[in-house]
Amino acid sequence: MKKIFSKKNVRLSTLTIVFVGIAITAAVAICVGLFSAVYSRSVLRDATVSSEQVVAQSTIAVNNYLDGMKDKLSKISEQMYKSESIEAFRNDIAVTTEIQNDIYAILIYDENGNILNCVSENSNFKDKICRDLSFDKALYATTEKYILTPPHVDNLFKGEYPWVVTIALKEFQPLYGKNVYIAIDFKFSEIAKYIDHVGIGRHGYCYIMDADGNIVYHPQQQMIYSGLKEEANANIQSLKDGVYPEKDKIYTIRTTQDARWRIVGVHYTEELRLERRTQILVGIMIALACSAVITVIMLFLFSKIVNAPVRELVRAMKAFEEAADTFEYKAPQQTVAELQILNDSFEHLVKRTKELMEKVRNEEIVLRKTELKALQAQINPHFLYNTLDSIQWMCEQGNDADAVKMVGALAKLFRISISRGHEFIKIKDEIQHAQSYLIIQSFRYRNQFSYTFRVDEELEDCLCNKITIQPLIENAIYHGIDRMVDEGEIHITVQESEDGDVLIIVEDNGVGMTEEQCKKILSKDRSDSGGIGVKNVDDRLKIYFGEKYGLQIESELDVGTKVTVRMPKLRKEPDNEA
Amino acid sequence: MKHKSWLCLLLCALLVLELSACTGRSFQSKKQIAVIVKSQNSEFWQTVKKGVTAAATEYNVSVTFEGPQNEEDYTAQNQMIENAVSRGVDAIVLSAIDYDRCASAVTSAAQRGVKVVAIDSTVRSSAVNMFIGTDNVAAGETAAQAAVQSVPTGQNIAIGIINCDGATENGQRREEGFKNYIKNVENAEVVAVLNVDSSVESATSGAIHLLTNYPKINVLVGFNEFMTLGIGNAIEKLALGDKIHAVGFDSNIVSIGMLESGEMDALIVQNPFAIGYLGIQHAVDLIEGNATEMTVYTQASLITKENMFDEENQKLLFRFQ
Repeated sequence: MKKIFSKKNVRLSTLTIVFVGIAITAAVAICVGLFSAVYSRSVLRDATVSSEQVVAQSTIAVNNYLDGMKDKLSKISEQMYKSESIEAFRNDIAVTTEIQNDIYAILIYDENGNILNCVSENSNFKDKICRDLSFDKALYATTEKYILTPPHVDNLFKGEYPWVVTIALKEFQPLYGKNVYIAIDFKFSEIAKYIDHVGIGRHGYCYIMDADGNIVYHPQQQMIYSGLKEEANANIQSLKDGVYPEKDKIYTIRTTQDARWRIVGVHYTEELRLERRTQILVGIMIALACSAVITVIMLFLFSKIVNAPVRELVRAMKAFEEAADTFEYKAPQQTVAELQILNDSFEHLVKRTKELMEKVRNEEIVLRKTELKALQAQINPHFLYNTLDSIQWMCEQGNDADAVKMVGALAKLFRISISRGHEFIKIKDEIQHAQSYLIIQSFRYRNQFSYTFRVDEELEDCLCNKITIQPLIENAIYHGIDRMVDEGEIHITVQESEDGDVLIIVEDNGVGMTEEQCKKILSKDRSDSGGIGVKNVDDRLKIYFGEKYGLQIESELDVGTKVTVRMPKLRKEPDNEA
Repeated sequence: MKHKSWLCLLLCALLVLELSACTGRSFQSKKQIAVIVKSQNSEFWQTVKKGVTAAATEYNVSVTFEGPQNEEDYTAQNQMIENAVSRGVDAIVLSAIDYDRCASAVTSAAQRGVKVVAIDSTVRSSAVNMFIGTDNVAAGETAAQAAVQSVPTGQNIAIGIINCDGATENGQRREEGFKNYIKNVENAEVVAVLNVDSSVESATSGAIHLLTNYPKINVLVGFNEFMTLGIGNAIEKLALGDKIHAVGFDSNIVSIGMLESGEMDALIVQNPFAIGYLGIQHAVDLIEGNATEMTVYTQASLITKENMFDEENQKLLFRFQ
């Protein structure tokens, strides 16, 4: 997750996430849209159906209740027919008020509203009644068989003012010898049992109103009486039975059998909408959560199968780019066929490249060795000419001893430098070669320099590249001592280094060299005299033994130069000598 | 890729959390409202309690309803306020016994972040967020009107007032409104004012005391339910129903009976159910921070023997069981 965008290019993983994300979001949005459209319609339909059912049931219950009251009236009337005395009748109906809790009082009125008889659960009948609310002359004059009053307070008995509805029946009764009204004041307790427990939705309810739109019973009657709640009865009253969806409510209206009362169901659609919204929200959340989980799993798998291997391959390619010669690649097992092909091809490519590189390097080394050997084989014609010239001069002078010495040294020099074509010779032979060279040169530079050898005897039988020391001595003479006024000194030391390599050190006290000169010398293929150059020595050591080995030049102007040759301690010739 | 999948998992977890937050809102703990009134044993407060209960159900809050044993015990009331505050209620609906001595408890409650709604009687504290109840001055004036009308025209009107202890706010306001009105009536005067404990017994003996010591009095006025009952009792005891006219406040079975039988001439009937209901409703509004009105006056009606059984007055007078 370093950075998702590298200027122009988009990462594979980013692309995957974006595409999958868009696809899932779109799918969820479409599903939710369809679902909520279908769902909201069905919810509304369900709400309508359920409130219709509830109101129908309530209507049946209220019908039954009213029928029960009418039955009661008929029974009382029958009883009155049968009764022989008022007293006996009174005792008979007294039982009824005791048994049936919701019947508060049974009253017998004459046509003028005078109470002829009355039985109640409350026995404290008032002597003085200022206004009998159970008898309403206008209402009682109806032609209908049953009279039903609006709810009112029963104020006929002391200490109690219960809310009741009066249902009455007008009949001729022989017991009283005239038309009487039989009236029952019943309380709302039984009706409340039905109506209070009717639930439409969470907050919906049913209430009863009469044909004029006055509320008969409402589950929140006291709130209505206290002016805290109102029902839109003026509007509802004019409506026929049916279902009326309003802005935020559904009204369902039904009329009882006798057409006196109407049952109104109120269903709050706002609550439906809220409920629906939470349900849809929950649905969306669940869908999103599920799809998120699935997405994560899919992405995880996808990344494991595709992205990670691709990234791995990219990393490998970069590493290969940086260090081709040391890079190794083994194609891992892949799930995706294309990736397998890519990986296999890359593995093959790496292998082929390395093989080619190895081949080129080897060829180069062989070429170089051949070239160097060809150089070694050459006899420096100037040196030979000069030496022979010196010998001739000695002979002419009759200096036979020196001439013999010179010829001997020259012979040794050549013998060792040829050494049957071997690259490696013993250190003691190399020292002898150097000594021969120094003998010849000390005749030419008479009295200009002296030299010493200090050789670790243990190392004498070790092998070294031939013609290693001579070029260094030549360099010391030509660049160090030749230009000196005083006598020069050359010290050759062969010793073992602390880490077990062989060190051959050639020191002089000549004019010294600048750093540039040092570098120049190390890059010279041939010596100034046309023989093997210092670079040649260095190259050979490096080709045969590696970069760690070779020459090291330390020089200081007017102080001298120190050249150190480092090579491994060899007891026998290395195998790779071409 | 590891990081990425963790990130996704994290997002999922967030989603789930959000989801539970959405659905979990309905399971939040209910708001707590303490209703502290003057006493619990009058019909008036029982009806207030009915309104409180109805509103508590409607607004889904949990309420407690408490009041001291007698209507003078402001220390007990202050203790109740403190208890409610330490219980951690969100709002207190209070009917203060003492206009001054309940103020500090209310102020410190408000400092603890509790909303205070005064119903029926308020306190001298700016911490009270809202008042709900009868416009007591206007109710006093209505009582005065009724008192004047109860006496046949032409007769002089000599008024005796029985009021509860001078500390409670609503009684004082009613008396103030009453006296203001009487001042402008030519043939009327307030002969005596007697402050008694707010109980039926002390009101009865107070009324008897007034009637015996001031024979001039032909109108008695009481400013709450107990005063009214006391006056009715005294008139009944002394059998002065025809001679003494009486005007009272609030209704219960007994005082309505007195109205019907003639001991009382008029009752100023408040709307205790609405007071209780609106108290809770506005407390909820305050808690939720969307209250607007500062004062809500509930209806107070003049009920006489003549109009007591009118359809509308039946609804006011008689509680629906």
